[in-house]
Amino acid sequence: MHEIFEHTADLGLRVTAPTLERLMADAASGLFQIIAGDLAQIRPRADHAEQFHVLGADPTWLLFDWISELHAAFELRRMLFCRFDVAIDAAGLHATAHGERYDPARHTLAHEIKAITQHELAVFETAEGWEATLIVDI
Amino acid sequence: MTATPTERSPDRGFAGPLEQVDDCTWRIPKTYKQGMLVDGLIFADERLIPQLRSDRAPEQVANVAFLPGIQTASLAMPDIHWGYGFCIGGVCATDPAIGGVVSPGGVGYDINCGVRLMRTNLTLADIQPVLLGLVNQLLRDVPVGVGQGGSHRFSPAELRELMQQGVPFLKRRGLATEDDIALTEAEGCIADARPEYVSDRALARGSDQCGTVGAGNHFIEVQVVDRVEDNTAAAAFGLHAGQICVLIHSGSRGLGYQVCDDSLRALRDAPTKYGMHLPDRQLVCAPVESPEGQNYLGAMRAAANYAFCNRQLLMWQVREVFARVLDKPWHSLGMELLYDVAHNIAKIERHQVGGTNKDVCVHRKGATRAFPAGHREIPDRYRVTGQPVIIPGDMGRASWVLRGGPRSMERSFGTTCHGAGRCLSRTAATKAARGRNIQEELLRGGVVARCRSREGLAEEQPLAYKDVDVVVDIVHRAGLSLKVARLRPLGVIKG
Repeated sequence: MHEIFEHTADLGLRVTAPTLERLMADAASGLFQIIAGDLAQIRPRADHAEQFHVLGADPTWLLFDWISELHAAFELRRMLFCRFDVAIDAAGLHATAHGERYDPARHTLAHEIKAITQHELAVFETAEGWEATLIVDI
Repeated sequence: MTATPTERSPDRGFAGPLEQVDDCTWRIPKTYKQGMLVDGLIFADERLIPQLRSDRAPEQVANVAFLPGIQTASLAMPDIHWGYGFCIGGVCATDPAIGGVVSPGGVGYDINCGVRLMRTNLTLADIQPVLLGLVNQLLRDVPVGVGQGGSHRFSPAELRELMQQGVPFLKRRGLATEDDIALTEAEGCIADARPEYVSDRALARGSDQCGTVGAGNHFIEVQVVDRVEDNTAAAAFGLHAGQICVLIHSGSRGLGYQVCDDSLRALRDAPTKYGMHLPDRQLVCAPVESPEGQNYLGAMRAAANYAFCNRQLLMWQVREVFARVLDKPWHSLGMELLYDVAHNIAKIERHQVGGTNKDVCVHRKGATRAFPAGHREIPDRYRVTGQPVIIPGDMGRASWVLRGGPRSMERSFGTTCHGAGRCLSRTAATKAARGRNIQEELLRGGVVARCRSREGLAEEQPLAYKDVDVVVDIVHRAGLSLKVARLRPLGVIKG
């Protein structure tokens, strides 16, 4: 699950999950909740699904690079995603993101994210699984 | 899975030492943390201290004091609030000759975010009958908000030219005048830009965004001069009470954000390579004179020139809207640029430090250059008054025009504040807006507000900001910049 927490001028995401894969998927949902507000308005189209491969072993940088790639997908191709199938192996993260292209006639957007910041960026294991924090610049 | 946004108060105020130096300066002594090379110095007064202690911005002032080569003090303006690595409102000068660093975090993601003020020959009486239609037309014709591309599109090759040449590139296309160039900081073109260091991804993000406002705290505001405080300077700036002006606040859009992002990645290993101990990952930096430092400065200057062009194209579109709505050419409406200032930038400038003139790298992160009268980098027409400084407040209360103050060079590397500074987080502001109609509240106060997103108005409501009058009062008393005129908003468009 994820929650959006306060940062004076911007927004933060705190994510908890039983597995690292789920953590990555829930963080991605959190990103698009900040961008679009309501994820229910996104109707996944099979032909708009995209594959992502992020290389690396450090979970913190894996999260940062994965969320940065999703943010770039919105900025460059106007993609809005709402569901994520994530696998992690020794090479890195491999994911399919399901969603559709932004349509001004049907979608409302909530925030323009300037960037995914490294400020207070953290991914760590807990007794229940995994936890992450990430702050985005609005 | 989704979740309703929840709040968490910033657990995390600042409990460290704040020693009063004088009635508007507070010190964090360098003994506070091992590794601080200089003191922290915050311009504030008693009214702001509770707010100052409520987040961790002062801790960030202390952290910046770790940066190699930092000169005099790690400074912060009264509009200080919590940022990333650097606080917003932070100023830091480093000496390249002794290994001083440049840090992308000291500039921020929105490279050359800034403001420009355009005056008109219109009065309140001229504008009131058409205000509603004018604001609606601005919202229709000027791209504002998330996902809004602009009508000016540039190929990668054209963007590289634009980033090399700045506003003069637009003049050649008939989209800027000679005065527009002369009245922009650095004449709209920072030298030594290296567009070849700007990534393809940054170019792609910037291709249709030059001439767009964006979202967040960016806006275009129609304002009226509410009060003149300094008649001589106001006359030099062409301002008088009752006059209509337009304030534009935006930056380098996705192109600049990507340049910062790319630079932070490129510099990820630089602190280890150069043997630096930094207390926050977001303070990542490299010596100014290193290849990494020069690459960042070259790309940052290119993005800064893009930002000058963005505000120029926005102003041009505003002129066209006024001309259409009022059915007169914009020249005859007296729509002339007063000045354009950057408030997120790093520049190599000559300053006197400890009795010696040095070229230092001045980082201004949410802080405005405020050169005093006589400075050679000020346009001739303003040289006797000091540089115009434009301070946006919030959309309900006021903004200010100041002039560079007599003490800015000795106290703050020629710098003053950049705005009111946030005092409520976005989530707290949204909560405070529940059950209220911000648009109607603003209208009752005489402000026509149009916002593309529901969140924009709630998060950017006046109460989310400190009182700009208090912030300006402090920089005035500190002699960093002096009051010239107060403006109040009449109409605003936002993302």
